[in-house]
Amino acid sequence: MAQAKKSNSGKPNSGKPNSGKDNFTRNLVVAVVVGVALIMLVPTVLSKQGDSTAAIPSSVSAEDGYGIIFNKELTNVPFIEIYEDFQCPACARFEAINGAYIEELITTKKAKVAFHTLSFLGRESQIAANAAACSADQGKFMEFHKTLYANQPAENTGAWNSQYFTTLGIGIGISSSDYDKCVKNEEYKGWVRNVAEAGSNRNINSTPTVLINGKEIDRNTEYGSVADFMLAVSRA
Amino acid sequence: MSKFEKLQPWLGLVCRLTLGGVLFVAGYLKVDKLEISQMAVRSYELLPIPLANFLGVVLPFFEVVIGLLLILGAATRIMAALGGFTMFIFIIAIAQAWARGLNIDCGCFGGGGAVAPGETRYLQEILRDAGLVAMALFLLRYPVTKFSIDKAPKQSTAGDSE
Repeated sequence: MAQAKKSNSGKPNSGKPNSGKDNFTRNLVVAVVVGVALIMLVPTVLSKQGDSTAAIPSSVSAEDGYGIIFNKELTNVPFIEIYEDFQCPACARFEAINGAYIEELITTKKAKVAFHTLSFLGRESQIAANAAACSADQGKFMEFHKTLYANQPAENTGAWNSQYFTTLGIGIGISSSDYDKCVKNEEYKGWVRNVAEAGSNRNINSTPTVLINGKEIDRNTEYGSVADFMLAVSRA
Repeated sequence: MSKFEKLQPWLGLVCRLTLGGVLFVAGYLKVDKLEISQMAVRSYELLPIPLANFLGVVLPFFEVVIGLLLILGAATRIMAALGGFTMFIFIIAIAQAWARGLNIDCGCFGGGGAVAPGETRYLQEILRDAGLVAMALFLLRYPVTKFSIDKAPKQSTAGDSE
């Protein structure tokens, strides 16, 4: 018999065996699986809406996609926007190649720069992005940025915890218990989510992504050497 | 009883476990990396961004559910239809990315997004999904399979519940 199969459904059929109608077990299984998935899915979808009440670092404005901004007041200068994830190796390369030049543009007030710290590579990216915001409140974001990338470990190996960032803070000259508290309590957790949400709403599909005056520059030709990057900035 | 009739429930089982297994694994690998999943859907440049982001969240859960139910053999026919339809849509999405010259990874099992030109694997991805569509069609035609929690129909003739 091709259809010889265990009759393991919950209720035995009254009368005729295997009428094909009583599918109690099956329906129960379907209901449970779909139900559990929905219970997990619905809060996730809702949390993706972003949280406009979340605390944001002082150098951040919601209308600029929640990025950490330098030289916000300047007009008539190129506006450089950098979408990055602290755990992404290509971002560390971009920083190593172009970081000093970008910092120079900021200190000489030749560009307005926004850093968007995305966190799609995992939990440790979120911890790092939160700590970055904490360091911004202490006026040490650029130091934080540079030091963190220079010492980037492999992704999600457990190296980046609050202890690590407290120590990093001391290393870059932050001596404030506010910073430690901010790191430990992840005070900008909601902001980290908002940055991610703003990035996905802007169709940012990989890191680093760099835009100058709102236009994405070519990742294949304009990220890899500071000369090419300078050209891209000067064109703006 | 013909040889095929004897073999069919076992073939069905293979199809169910393969299609279900692939869907389950694909969904499971993405379910805790939803931002990457959203990114993968966006990079097809097929949907408006808010819709792509929504789909990026929903799709992994959908795949896990369909995959799990196929593995268990619950509502085989409906799940095979849904799974096959999903694979069919994937084929269209990948084919259009290929035709338009986008350089993306399908993001089928996590990952996704832009890749370097020459690192795309569109043909393999389409062939794999086409194989899975074929399995779904088989299950649609012959939904009665071994070790399923679906109740067997009254007659032993397979695929008679149309």
